Amino acid sequence: MNWLATAELWNWASPVWLIAAILTAWYLWIVRGAWSFRAAWFLLAIVALAAAFVSPIGVLADGYLFSAHMVQHLMLLLIVPLCLLLSLPEARVEAWLTRPRWTWLRRLLAIPVIGWLCGLGSMWFWHVPTLCAAATESYALGVVRSATFFVAGLLFWWQVYSPVVRLRLPPLPSVVYLFSACTGCTLLGIYITFTSVAVCPAFANPADRIGILNMLYDAGLTPAADQQLGGLLMWVPPCSLYVSAVIGVLCRWYTQPTLAPASSASLPTTIREART
Amino acid sequence: MSLPLADKPLESGVSREADAATATWLLGWVSTVDHKRIGILYILTAMVFLAVGGGEALLMRIQLALPRNTFLSPDAFNQMFTMHGTTMVFLVGMPVLVGFANFFVPLMIGARDVAFPRLNAMSYWLLPSGGILLYYSFLTGKAPDAGWFSYAPLSTKAYNLMQAQDYWILGLACLGVGSVAAAINIFVTVLSCRAPGMSLQRVPLFVWMSFMTAILTILALPALNAALAMLLIDRWLGAAFFEPARGGSAILWQHYFWVFGHPEVYILILPAFGMISEVIPVFSRKPIYGYSFVAGSSAVIVLLSYGVWAHHMFAAGLGMGANIFFAVGSLLIALPTGVKVFNWTATMWGGSIRLTTSMLFAVAFLLEFVIGGLTGVMFAAVPIDWQLTDTYFVVGHFHYVLIGGTVFGLFAATFYWFPKITGRMLSERLGKLQFWLWVAGLNATFMVQHFLGLMGMPRRNYTYRDEPGWAVLNQIATVGAFLMAAGTLVLIWNILVSLRKGKIAGDNPWGAFTLEWATTSPPPVENFETIPEVHSRRPVWDRDHPELADSKTEKSPEDNGRRPGKARMCGWAFVASEAVFFLLLLVTYVVFNSRHGDDSGPTAEKVLDVFRTGMFSIALISSSATFWIAERSLRRGAQGGFRLWLGATILLGMVFLGGQVWEYSELIRGGVTIDRNLFASTFFTVTGFHGLHVTAGLVALVILLVLGVQRYLTAERSEVMAAVGVYWHFVDVVWLAVFGIIYLGLLQ
Repeated sequence: MNWLATAELWNWASPVWLIAAILTAWYLWIVRGAWSFRAAWFLLAIVALAAAFVSPIGVLADGYLFSAHMVQHLMLLLIVPLCLLLSLPEARVEAWLTRPRWTWLRRLLAIPVIGWLCGLGSMWFWHVPTLCAAATESYALGVVRSATFFVAGLLFWWQVYSPVVRLRLPPLPSVVYLFSACTGCTLLGIYITFTSVAVCPAFANPADRIGILNMLYDAGLTPAADQQLGGLLMWVPPCSLYVSAVIGVLCRWYTQPTLAPASSASLPTTIREART
Repeated sequence: MSLPLADKPLESGVSREADAATATWLLGWVSTVDHKRIGILYILTAMVFLAVGGGEALLMRIQLALPRNTFLSPDAFNQMFTMHGTTMVFLVGMPVLVGFANFFVPLMIGARDVAFPRLNAMSYWLLPSGGILLYYSFLTGKAPDAGWFSYAPLSTKAYNLMQAQDYWILGLACLGVGSVAAAINIFVTVLSCRAPGMSLQRVPLFVWMSFMTAILTILALPALNAALAMLLIDRWLGAAFFEPARGGSAILWQHYFWVFGHPEVYILILPAFGMISEVIPVFSRKPIYGYSFVAGSSAVIVLLSYGVWAHHMFAAGLGMGANIFFAVGSLLIALPTGVKVFNWTATMWGGSIRLTTSMLFAVAFLLEFVIGGLTGVMFAAVPIDWQLTDTYFVVGHFHYVLIGGTVFGLFAATFYWFPKITGRMLSERLGKLQFWLWVAGLNATFMVQHFLGLMGMPRRNYTYRDEPGWAVLNQIATVGAFLMAAGTLVLIWNILVSLRKGKIAGDNPWGAFTLEWATTSPPPVENFETIPEVHSRRPVWDRDHPELADSKTEKSPEDNGRRPGKARMCGWAFVASEAVFFLLLLVTYVVFNSRHGDDSGPTAEKVLDVFRTGMFSIALISSSATFWIAERSLRRGAQGGFRLWLGATILLGMVFLGGQVWEYSELIRGGVTIDRNLFASTFFTVTGFHGLHVTAGLVALVILLVLGVQRYLTAERSEVMAAVGVYWHFVDVVWLAVFGIIYLGLLQ
């Protein structure tokens, strides 16, 4: 793996630092000195975000390797939003959501189908061959794509890992939510792995900007192998993540504090009430 | 409630009354909708087929006792291993587990019956029907002989000209429908019929495992049904889904079969896990160690089991990437399984153990299943798989899982629950004899097969050369098989004797913990006179030992009292099953139509009129809207509006079907028939099955309309409407996917 040390593979001048800086400033403003272990999640989110663009993942994803694009995609859609949600303080987020200005957002977030469709939809939508190629070739469209991944990821994970615990889906629906999401990305993964169509034609004939193409081919990453790897990455890591989340949800379910029938009626804790 | 064997009226001359009594007794069993009787029927039918499938195994072992033996012809040997495998999986394993679930799930959750008793009877009667279809093949001159997984192209018409394979397909389709119906029933029963206080986190582990098995069955069997449908279309209508010579793909059959086949392994083992989880705590006089671990890890098994099927296909050449990922997945699945072995062991640790026959089988389960499990982990490593696949090592491996696991679990359950089913105890002395015969037989037969496999003896060959040591090892295996047969005879003798002379059991002979022991043995038709209050996972223990009650010491999540509507849950479960079926058909379409190659035949762009079908699609989609309005009218009590909008829904559905008939007739007149090329085959299969579902939906809607006209369907009964609605909207959603993929050419 000597080629990883090549200087051209690291994009230290990436504008993602700007976003990371803004996010960090925002986060510092939110916590305002009230530190907790949650900050570690935030740090992880920033590291993942930076890694997705600065490290060889970002450079290779930019026109060279479909599989690197897939790793970037998964970091933006699954890792960064999840870490960010886990890093937010519950009371603060709850206070925002109760403001009348954000009522529409609260209503939106109370509908699990929307989160599911955003998570799965962004995966499927951006892998329609023409769109995938266009977003890889056009810088502006690439930015739009990255942004949609990030927002869709937030909406997707909100249902399971919302900072406001009472707004999360109940455990059994969460399991169905995650399992069906796993099925969705399994299907796409199978399709990408086994199809003979070039899912993202931009990667089939890469323009060799920085002269590393032969190195990649020597490492065995030919376009066909690359796409197969990308498909499997689309399939196995997200499903492993979802299954891990299912384990987490089940643990919560078995150890949840006594939930007397009366308590759910007296407090506005259910999704249905949050919707109104 | 009594067994058919137990209260057969005594012969008292040839009097008319005796005949009438026999007829009533027989009719009582044939027409029963009582879950306990249906459970017994399942178990007895499975025992009949156990004798048949076991007999086939013995014939094979006799053939293999000597090198170059001529006891069975090669052809007969092929039929024997095919029928043995098919029988043991579909006619013994699944039915006997469904039978126990049928009998005990409602009792253990304090319900009076399963959610849908008549559906339950239908599920059962599909079992003998499927069995008869399968075995009828013998009368056509030859039984199926392509192996229990019927790999294409061996199972296609070119290589299997006789009707045997068709009977295999029809028999399995019949059994598949029955299994899904039974699974939906168990699924809804567990969700909707639990006694007050019985939260889902408190159900006995056998109930939880049956629930997980039901989910597996609902989502896995349709994969087999889809594959069977395509194979039948290949054989009868001349399509070529699985014929490589005509552009089809034999590998595709392997994928589809194992997408079903691997979850099937868990369908066969999870209920046995549940049985062990009941038996070990009771005979250790301790609660299960780590309830949530045992239950939660099973849920994880269910999720993972759908992602590892290709480890059955390492030798098929999927490519290194796919092999690595599936190997990792298969290794992962060992974790949630291994956890449970520790749970059961820890349950026994420090317990006051009673080594009854039931407990002996449970302990043997732990030992033998671990052997089978570990060889399974070996197979997850691709190079080992390449070396050992299709040898006797595989045969040894999965028999340790299925006998050491499933069968020993079943025997443990039989000795544990026989007193509850019949009111009498089985003989412990005969039980121990049976136990040692089986343990000796299992290890003699299948341990040596590991060595034979390592030496390179291929499975499914009718004979072998006289290599050094092969004859002796095979003879040991044959002796072992006869030991197991003798053990089975001891069990049957034990049952027959105990039914007449066994010790009277009483309500709770073992001092067990769960609700089925709170009622009489055998239970009355209505199951319970009064249901004990459920405050913990061991309600009967709490009742009998109030000072040591679990509810005081161990807090488990309380019941929230919510029980989803039965009809609606049934609708959702059915739709989930059908979704998998259509998914596979659509995957097939995409696989065969996204390739570049010979474009001389008809394709979607050349022959389909997208605009016209789009118009008819609008009719179908708007029928969802009219249905929704009809449902709302019904709930508001507006009967007139309800009938009007429901009528509109039916009309729109019929318009859509009319459009499909128009399209089909044009295509067929233009020479595009199902056997023309793979586009035509996949097109007609997908849209044809969808049309069939629309037709079925229309039948349901017409029934609703008739019920509405008769003023039977009122706002209080709108649940039925909601259930049909789930199905009708589903059919429309499927059409959206079909239209997008086939007509608009997405994904190509």
